[in-house]
Amino acid sequence: MRNQSRYLLLITILLAVYYLVLGIYLHQLGYVSQEAMFYIEKTKIVIDGVGNRLKVMGLTAPILPFYASFLFSAISASLAPVIASSLTMAVLFFLIGSALLKRAKDDFYLIILLLIFALHPGILYAACSGKSIALVLVFFFMFFFNLLKFYSSNTTFHVSIASISLVLLIFCDYKFIWLTLFFIPLVLSITVKSLNLGEQESIFRLFISFNNPSLRRKLINKTFALYIILFVLPLACIVCYKLLNLTHAQDFNYFNESPYATWRVLADKLTFDQLSTSTVYRIPETSILISAKALLFCPLMLVAIFLFRNSTYQILTLLTPFAFIEFLHIKYEKVFLVQEYYMMFVVLALLCILYRSQIIRRQAVLKTVVLVLTLFQLYTGYIFMKTSSIAEEQNFITVLLNRQPDPSQDDNREMADFINKLPNNSHVLVDDAIAFPIVSLSKDKEDFRKYTLPYQNAFLSAIEAPDKYDDYILLASEKNEVTGFTQLNNRYIPVIRKANSALKLRPVYETDDWVLYKIMSD
Amino acid sequence: MSIPELLVNDGFISRQDREKINDLSARTGQSFIKIALNFGYISRKNYERSLSNLGYTFREIRNQAVDADILGKVDLKFADQHIALPLRKENGRIITVMADPSNQLFIDFIRFTYDCEPEIILASDLDITWLSHKILGDNYVKSSVYELLNRDPNSSAFITFSTGQLAFLFLLLALVTIGLVVNFKTTSILINLIISFFFLIAIMFKLFLALMGSRFELHQAVTREDLHQIVEDELPVYTILLPVYKEDKLIKKLIWNLQALDYPREKLDVKLLIEEDDDKTLNAVRNLDFPAIFEVIVVPYHMPKTKPKACNYGLHFSRGKYLTIYDAEDIPDTDQLRKVVSMFSKLPSNYICVQSALNYFNRNENFLTRMFTLEYSYWFDYMLPGLDTLDIPIPLGGTSNHFKLENLVELGAWDPFNVTEDADLGLRAYAKGYKIAVINSTTYEEANNEPFNWIRQRSRWIKGYMQTYLVHMRNPIALLRRLGWRGFLGFNFFIGATPLTFLVYPFLLAIFISYLVFDLSTIRTLFPDWILFMSIFNLMVGNILMIYINMMAVFKRRFYELILFSIANPVYWLMHSIAAFKGLYQLIVKPFYWEKTEHGLSKVNSPTNIVK
Repeated sequence: MRNQSRYLLLITILLAVYYLVLGIYLHQLGYVSQEAMFYIEKTKIVIDGVGNRLKVMGLTAPILPFYASFLFSAISASLAPVIASSLTMAVLFFLIGSALLKRAKDDFYLIILLLIFALHPGILYAACSGKSIALVLVFFFMFFFNLLKFYSSNTTFHVSIASISLVLLIFCDYKFIWLTLFFIPLVLSITVKSLNLGEQESIFRLFISFNNPSLRRKLINKTFALYIILFVLPLACIVCYKLLNLTHAQDFNYFNESPYATWRVLADKLTFDQLSTSTVYRIPETSILISAKALLFCPLMLVAIFLFRNSTYQILTLLTPFAFIEFLHIKYEKVFLVQEYYMMFVVLALLCILYRSQIIRRQAVLKTVVLVLTLFQLYTGYIFMKTSSIAEEQNFITVLLNRQPDPSQDDNREMADFINKLPNNSHVLVDDAIAFPIVSLSKDKEDFRKYTLPYQNAFLSAIEAPDKYDDYILLASEKNEVTGFTQLNNRYIPVIRKANSALKLRPVYETDDWVLYKIMSD
Repeated sequence: MSIPELLVNDGFISRQDREKINDLSARTGQSFIKIALNFGYISRKNYERSLSNLGYTFREIRNQAVDADILGKVDLKFADQHIALPLRKENGRIITVMADPSNQLFIDFIRFTYDCEPEIILASDLDITWLSHKILGDNYVKSSVYELLNRDPNSSAFITFSTGQLAFLFLLLALVTIGLVVNFKTTSILINLIISFFFLIAIMFKLFLALMGSRFELHQAVTREDLHQIVEDELPVYTILLPVYKEDKLIKKLIWNLQALDYPREKLDVKLLIEEDDDKTLNAVRNLDFPAIFEVIVVPYHMPKTKPKACNYGLHFSRGKYLTIYDAEDIPDTDQLRKVVSMFSKLPSNYICVQSALNYFNRNENFLTRMFTLEYSYWFDYMLPGLDTLDIPIPLGGTSNHFKLENLVELGAWDPFNVTEDADLGLRAYAKGYKIAVINSTTYEEANNEPFNWIRQRSRWIKGYMQTYLVHMRNPIALLRRLGWRGFLGFNFFIGATPLTFLVYPFLLAIFISYLVFDLSTIRTLFPDWILFMSIFNLMVGNILMIYINMMAVFKRRFYELILFSIANPVYWLMHSIAAFKGLYQLIVKPFYWEKTEHGLSKVNSPTNIVK
């Protein structure tokens, strides 16, 4: 066992190196995700900024991936998100691997795990893109793993670890708060099952317990206590976090709805706009098809469901992520589901296999099925990525396979290079709601301090009287897809000229998305 | 007719019992009547009835004159074993008080020692015990008070602040004052930073410990199978010390609870430790109308009048291989002693103490008892097992800690000058390389249900923690060497940090509330961004996590109805702060003063905790 653990650690280290090499290589080719750029920019504010950094430090969302990236900024500011996601993914491999060694005790499944972690495009995307997916998957795994353990052991430890994992999961992706919704009936079912009754059938157990005053009290107390233990922590944390948002940003949902706090607002808008203006018509995602699509993406889920076929609430637990993605589709109808929500099925399937595979007597058949489905899953992973509605995902696989430089950030890079070359004492007014990619590309502290950004108190005054605070203004051009999210766009010039007719602006550098104006002194 | 014969004839004891008593008497050296009265064969009332029927009269002996020369020839232990005492010589005869006038062995002792006949005065065994301990117990009580101080003065809390500590405290105070005068802002920020870091680490450490503790939730230190394997005849003699002071209302309950213990009675050595001036409790014992399994030990008057001093005194008369302490209102699991014996047999020899969990039987009585239950569930079910797992010194709980007697004596027993002698002893054990284990058995106590009584009790505990911290931190480097860095940090965060946290808490809360309510933006100058961030994180996450850990603990105990009360913890902590300030005041003004906790206030029935 100790030897196996040592090997597992060695494989994990090799895997981490593999992810890092891949991530850094992709980064060299110019592939950077929006999310990673967002974290880089916010990290620069926290480290090099001058102004109200507390708000950025505490209200940037999702907060945990941001902190994870922040941790590695000492190594390299621009590679920090990639390092964080690569290492996190390696940690996930280690977690699943060590659980597998303890439970399944079969090297075959370890090979399957390694195969998926080394080759699955979704996993590679999670590891090398610098996005929060890796952390989401870690906490998603911990949440479900501990829930399954709780079902069998009935210990407070596992249910509380599950609850803590849920909190961490929510702080990696706020949408997971909706997962709690589907656990409400499940908890009742768990409590009914745990009552000491002769009757075995769930519905009759419920009937008996509701018609006996003592059992009813016990049932209610226990159900309520379980709800509290499972959900009080996430709810309390969210309430506190929202209060912090209210006190520091005057808005409960600042972290979730402001483009200054989260990259998702812009990314969601961007993907939807890109899609709706696309000349190629894509089949819209419809409700039932989403679950079918998830199954197609991860056929190993079928094995997972098969393994738990005789356990009612374990099956219900496995079905909650399906209900969750269906719900997300209804709630956020204009947003396409990103890889993250499909990837969680891969993790869940692996979890179920490691948890229950040993109960199957005909291991040879099971292993063959698992192997075939894994290979199929690698293929569907590739197809899904290639035909993804999200440009970033498509880009990733294209850059990975063609090994050609990624031109998607060229425009931003060009502008950033120009600004970086400006004299050190010059000041540029920039709205990082949409211009965070440019700010993230600043090379050092001096470059970064050229920017006047919204987190600084001077920003609003600078918008009103740019000539008093800044030497340059960066405006979004008309072609910029997210130009509507900032005040600093082409409509700004007529407005400011009306207010200050003496102001003279001269474009000094222009790209497709940006125009940099120099403020001329009299 | 001899007294045993009389008791058999009167039907108070059977012939088989008489055989058993004789047998036990031969093994222990105790007289027949001592065993009959102290091992539950006959009640004192029936004994008196039987002798009175025969014409004997029990006399009041407390005011009898005594002769030091006569008393000098008798040892307290011998007198105690026979419940008899020679007082003086009068008219060529030795005036001797005896509980059993037919005790031939003691009569012969008088004849051989003093070379004259005894004149016997019949007296109650309790009065003889009282008198003999009062007159002959001087050396023993002095040893109980000064033994640790003489043997290991560095471990005694006799001196509260060492010179070094005082110098350090005043130097620190001077530095802070100078800092504030010279640069108020920077010094305040530095203090803030230290407090914030301290809280952050403390919170994380406590969460980590609780999780470590809860991880072994299903682990049974002693299983049913282990209990089945115990050989009845091989069970060792087990001493139970019951230090009581003015607990007359609880005596009956206490005796019933002990009666329920599943342990052979002849192998029990139960000592009820009553203070010399505590006539209330002594009379309550006198009035018991049923046979009881305990022996009364009267602790002669000597300052400080503390529980550890009484226990040390009781230790001189203890016969057991193992020893435990119960409080007057305790209801231990009936199989607790067996479990401990089994556990000691499994543990390596350097484990010298086993701590049982404590919890409350009156948890639903009022807000305070609910909060107390939450706290104890968390402390004993999560924190102590967590400390145990990480091999960090365990601050022992007040009762239900089971010791190996010889090691306890070797350690110098309890410190009579320390008001949380239990926590101190746990640390001393660790410092000497011994270990403490936690067992899956619970003793139910009475939770304090009255706020002032609660504050009294808590102030003593917090004062004791301060005392213990000061004692062991006289030489921090030596302590670090002895405990290792883990033990040292654990000690600092548990014993040291607890009072400090409660002392600082109200100030921090006041600053936060002022900041919110009065929008004191000037405070921001003392809280730069990142310190404010850390402080807010501590406040939010710290409170939430501590509340959650409490919830986990009662969830584990299946006290589902208490789960929501965890939310009231911040209010409960304010009560701790009041107690902490009282404790601090007493530490300076009267460090050895034992704040007595009133027991028996609960109106809740306390059923015996029978383990099925």
